[in-house]
Amino acid sequence: MVDRPTEELRPPWILGRKGLGDVTRDICDVFEREPTALWWAAFTVSSSMLLAGTLAVCYEIATGIGTWGLNKTVGWAFDITNFVFWIGIGHAGTLISAILFLFRQRWRTSVNRAAEAMTLFAVMCAGLFPLIHMGRPWLFYWIVPYPNTRGSLWVNFRSPLLWDFFAISTYFLISLTFWYVGLVPDLATARDRASGFKRKVFGFFSLGWNGSTRTWVHYESLYTLLAALATPLVLSVHTIVSFDFATALVPGWHTTIFPPYFVCGAVFSGFAMVLTLMLIARKVVHLEDYFTHRHVGAMCKIVIVTGSCVGLAYLTEFFTAAYSDNPYEQFVFLNRAMGPYAWAYWTMITCNVISPQLFWFKRVRENLVLVFLISLVINVGMWFERFVIIVSSLHRDFLPSSWVMYYPSSIEIVTLIGSFGLFFTAFLIFCRFLPMIAMAEVKGVVSEGRRHSQARPAAAPAEDLDLDVAEARA
Amino acid sequence: MNPYRKSPGGLDPSDVDEPDGGPDGIDRRDFLKAAGFTALAASAVGCERIPTPKAAPFLIAPEELVPGRALRYASVCSGCEAGCGALVKAVDGRPIKMEGLPEHPLSRGGLCAMGQATLLGLYDSHRLQAPTIGGETADWAAVDAAVKPRLAGGKVRILTRSLVSPTARALAEGLVGSLADARLVVYDPLSCSAIPEAHERTHGARVLPRYRFDKARVVVGFGADFLGTWISPVEHAAGYSVGRRLDENAVWHAQFESTASLTGSNADERRRIAPGEVGLKLSQLAGKIAARAGATFDAPAGGDDLDPIVERLWNARGKSLVVCGDRDVEAQVLVNFINQHLGNYGETLDVASPSFQKQGDDRALEELRRELDAGEVDLLVVAGVNPVYDRALPVEKAGYVVCVAQRADETTALAHLICAESNEFESWADAEPAAGIVGIRQPAMNPRGRTRSLIEILSAWRGEAKTSLELVKERWKDAFPWAEAVERGFAEVKRDPVAVKEFDGSGVKPIAAGPEGFALVGYAKVGLGDGRHAYNPWLQELPDPVSKATWDNYACLSVATAARLGVTEGDVVRVEAGGAAVELPAMVQPGQHDDVVAVAIGYGQRSTERFADVGPQWFERNPTLGPDGLIGADVGPLLPPGLLVAADAKVTKTGRRRDLASTQTHHNIAVPEHLAPPGGAVRPCVLETTLQQYREDPASGVEKAHLPDPDLFPPDHPYEGRKWAMAIDLTRCTGCSACVVACQAENNVPVVGRDEVQRRREMHWMRIDRYYRGEGDEVTTSHQPMLCQHCENAPCESVCPVLATVHTEEGLNAQAYNRCVGTRYCANNCPYKVRRFNWFDYPHDDPVENLVLNPNVTVRSRGVMEKCTFCVQRIQEETIQAKKEGKLPADGVIKTACQQSCPTQAIVFGDGNDPESAVSKALADPRRYYALEELNVRPSVGYLTLVRDRAPDGGEGSSHG
Repeated sequence: MVDRPTEELRPPWILGRKGLGDVTRDICDVFEREPTALWWAAFTVSSSMLLAGTLAVCYEIATGIGTWGLNKTVGWAFDITNFVFWIGIGHAGTLISAILFLFRQRWRTSVNRAAEAMTLFAVMCAGLFPLIHMGRPWLFYWIVPYPNTRGSLWVNFRSPLLWDFFAISTYFLISLTFWYVGLVPDLATARDRASGFKRKVFGFFSLGWNGSTRTWVHYESLYTLLAALATPLVLSVHTIVSFDFATALVPGWHTTIFPPYFVCGAVFSGFAMVLTLMLIARKVVHLEDYFTHRHVGAMCKIVIVTGSCVGLAYLTEFFTAAYSDNPYEQFVFLNRAMGPYAWAYWTMITCNVISPQLFWFKRVRENLVLVFLISLVINVGMWFERFVIIVSSLHRDFLPSSWVMYYPSSIEIVTLIGSFGLFFTAFLIFCRFLPMIAMAEVKGVVSEGRRHSQARPAAAPAEDLDLDVAEARA
Repeated sequence: MNPYRKSPGGLDPSDVDEPDGGPDGIDRRDFLKAAGFTALAASAVGCERIPTPKAAPFLIAPEELVPGRALRYASVCSGCEAGCGALVKAVDGRPIKMEGLPEHPLSRGGLCAMGQATLLGLYDSHRLQAPTIGGETADWAAVDAAVKPRLAGGKVRILTRSLVSPTARALAEGLVGSLADARLVVYDPLSCSAIPEAHERTHGARVLPRYRFDKARVVVGFGADFLGTWISPVEHAAGYSVGRRLDENAVWHAQFESTASLTGSNADERRRIAPGEVGLKLSQLAGKIAARAGATFDAPAGGDDLDPIVERLWNARGKSLVVCGDRDVEAQVLVNFINQHLGNYGETLDVASPSFQKQGDDRALEELRRELDAGEVDLLVVAGVNPVYDRALPVEKAGYVVCVAQRADETTALAHLICAESNEFESWADAEPAAGIVGIRQPAMNPRGRTRSLIEILSAWRGEAKTSLELVKERWKDAFPWAEAVERGFAEVKRDPVAVKEFDGSGVKPIAAGPEGFALVGYAKVGLGDGRHAYNPWLQELPDPVSKATWDNYACLSVATAARLGVTEGDVVRVEAGGAAVELPAMVQPGQHDDVVAVAIGYGQRSTERFADVGPQWFERNPTLGPDGLIGADVGPLLPPGLLVAADAKVTKTGRRRDLASTQTHHNIAVPEHLAPPGGAVRPCVLETTLQQYREDPASGVEKAHLPDPDLFPPDHPYEGRKWAMAIDLTRCTGCSACVVACQAENNVPVVGRDEVQRRREMHWMRIDRYYRGEGDEVTTSHQPMLCQHCENAPCESVCPVLATVHTEEGLNAQAYNRCVGTRYCANNCPYKVRRFNWFDYPHDDPVENLVLNPNVTVRSRGVMEKCTFCVQRIQEETIQAKKEGKLPADGVIKTACQQSCPTQAIVFGDGNDPESAVSKALADPRRYYALEELNVRPSVGYLTLVRDRAPDGGEGSSHG
């Protein structure tokens, strides 16, 4: 068994028997050549969505939150739904970069760059909503505990919204750093290939990278350290976001299961979004060799796990409510399943619990069209999950006199569309200007690297993908 | 001197120099001041008034006027003819709030929603500012010159509503008497003409008795909404509340009605009857009472279901009261018969010192209609009423029409000459709502325009133009000490008792059941009443106490009828009766009779066109006005003239929809059946018990099961000084919603318009939750005032990221508007949903209307959260005053706005740390519970259980039909 080539044991992560040069060429070509018509079409659509969203937000800020469909009982709806949704999307990036890195999951190399970029853009979209949902958004900085001249006026450290501020800004900063540090070797590659102004820009951002072993050693240790730092954040951000609900006394929010439930949901939705984006990207920019069926399959398996966790959480919530003997809590769950927002609840169940179970079938995982569709369905489902948690809990709480229905206004819908516009526009710009696959890391898993490893006398173990990265890149 | 009820020196200078009038001795300064004001007032009165386009500050302020310090003037409410005592609170020379006058013998400190909202009428920028002749602005000399010759010759008719002011009555009668062919015709839009007429037949005197609900222990009402809109609701509610103290004098109240009225919702027993059944039920009741009293009465058969009521009535002879709101004289004669045989005359009905609150005579009005139709009337003076709207009177057939009005309406549109009338706050007046009780109304500011009050107009036409002050003072100066009465707001004078004859039962005869079938019933809505205040945005936005709908009238159908017709709430239906039709959205009203479609009167008035732009303006808004450009639709053409019931009504679905603007959309105290967890169907927000159970165990009905466990943590708020608390007695609360308007006026709560209410964004800090218990139409109704509970463990406080809502040392949950960034997290986390968010910058564009704003309360900008503050400005005002004297305010001195105006004194506020305070005693009542106590938020507002006198198992409303 030891003698057999590893290719036969496990198919390679990168197809097409790429050499190191091929990798550089393939990936740099995406942002070095003129944008394709498809890119322009996508950019036009997404930037139009962004423009519409911007106008909607401007109108809202100029006129008042009344332009949303909120009311005296439902104080949050689309705004915080979108916020939690986008924060959830942002989870896959760090998970792929940090946790999968620490676990030495080599397949992450094809998706980590794009996933990290996606994280940044998703967190940007997410961060927008707490800002614009304020009644007086121009005073947003009052949430920041900075020394001020207003006497002893300070922020409320008991408020989960304040914790949110810290959690999200930390997460964004770490994700940005991590993404940027990972980019440095690739930026150097791009610098070396570019000329003129581009060369200067890439040169500036590649921080004088020279590719020496010494640089690589420093780089590797920094990257590992950052991964270790970012790992707890994957768990903390959504835990803290879930505190917004868990620490409140609204029935349906006041639940201790929320932190793990939210983290699972976030990873679930994040992976679905990575799938959506990468499946489009591999077709649009022809990176089928780098993002293969095996990658898709690996991600589908994570989706099954997290999707099942989410389904379990839904069941647990019902059990807890039934077991609690708390009539308010029990009512909220009956109302979710059978009340006026039952359609949203069952949409959520269908999309999040039932649809990912299809990934148990290999034929489904191999059918990229199906995977793409399911990933979309999961994204819809996860948006509805947050909608159900927020709106169906708020709209019928303790006193029946205050029960209401919530209907979104056109401004809210356009704002949601606008956030997708922002996300896709940013992602398309990223694809256009930066290497969307981590070349330096992918080079470690191409066949070239395998040949090196097989040449070594002390053969690597069967799962011989754990190469010395430095060697592969030499 | 009492800190309120100061007479305004600037407006009443002459009393100061009277030896008997001055409250204290007069020193030199006062003399000079008075002399100066006399000169000023004399010159002001003597000259033509110059319109003052801008308000300028005092260069030399009157000595008693401290900027920012409120003065309270005793006065009389002018919202209707009930003549309740009022306090006008004025700051810096402008009235900002109407309150109840605690010492007033009729209203006893309460003031209804409508009365309080009249203040907004003072600052109505649409008010007529000057008289017009033929549409052209004229001066008063021209008006007098135009009217006087016409008075002298020809047939003159003066049409007014009840002249509760003796001065006005005397002047009008004097004017009429001095003319060759003149007559004074009085009618009330909400007519009670049948009651005096019935008394004319049975007692030989045309009187409206004064109903003494305070003395009644058994009350049986037949369609009389005496707590809401009938004759004198505040007086009745104050009296009724005496019997709601749960002592040995507890009142038992049965109500027979076809609509779901506020009064019916408070009844211990409520029976739905068709409007045509009133006479039959009264006849059966009369027969049974007569049988017991040994009188002869040929009663129709049946009515055994009345036996328990008869038993109660009979046992409470002399302490019972039967009232009827029907406009049929025969029915009222029967009521007199019943009350007579129950020995209630002289006890609970006072005919010797009758009420003057309704003086209308519908027969005289019909005679006027005939004269008008015949073209006989040469000059018609219409004063203070809108007969074209509410009686379809053909005023255009008169030779010349003169209107005395404050605002343009349907009648002024047909008038040749319009006399712009001063607002009630701008002139002196008096009122004698009940014999011997005379209220004096002081003006609170100078007229804004070139206007005159009715008495000034009448006196000018009589040829002796005098000011309202002179007229009123002249009338009363010999009857009682003038200055003292002005200061108190009322005086009691001796009146000879009205001579009534021995009861004459000869004309009493039973009434057969009316025609069966579907009937249209017009009813007056609490707040809007007959519709004279339809211009008033506070009242338009006041939720109806029972239906909870605002801004519109609608066709109420019982649950069964709505189901039969396939109508759901918000379906536009076509209501046809009397050869006319209106299209209105349907309202499913549990507890209404199945053969009735009920529509509120007073809607569809021209004065409501002004609401086209009320509320925030943004592109997705829906108009406040209905399809025909008005608020609601006028149901008058469908009803026979002067009556409120039209037989043979038809309701058909149009297929269109117009959703109602309701502040409450889930009406039952139970959650929907299919969503009810086992044992958790009924929400324990209003706790109820029966009188019998209460007497066995005063704590019955209070659930002790879910009390929170002891806290692990030591209390972090010691509350060493005062700790504010409130107790609300649900047994006394009638749901009349006076507190809602009181709060709105006190706290500058904006009006948001129909669309915003529909989006469930009304801003009222104080609301009244109304819950039905039971299913279908057999429901019992309860009311629960709901306001910020000022929780000790306030869930709103811990979640605010910027500490905009914090707890004060005195237990108030304070909201710092300046600091609020508007995350709405606090509102989400509030279990009582009492927090209100400023979704928009609510318009304050009308500079005149802005004068009503309370300067002690911030006008909130958009994007901030607001809520009940326990009237912190009132707490501070009294505390500062008391501190100057080196003490704390005594218990009861600080009153919240809602408490102040409550006609039944259901709300008690004070220092919960003081064991002797009224609120501590109220909260020590075994009936006390806290709403959602199990959440351990520790509210500062305690509720006292709702106790009804009914069979214990009848609590779910299934006992009676």
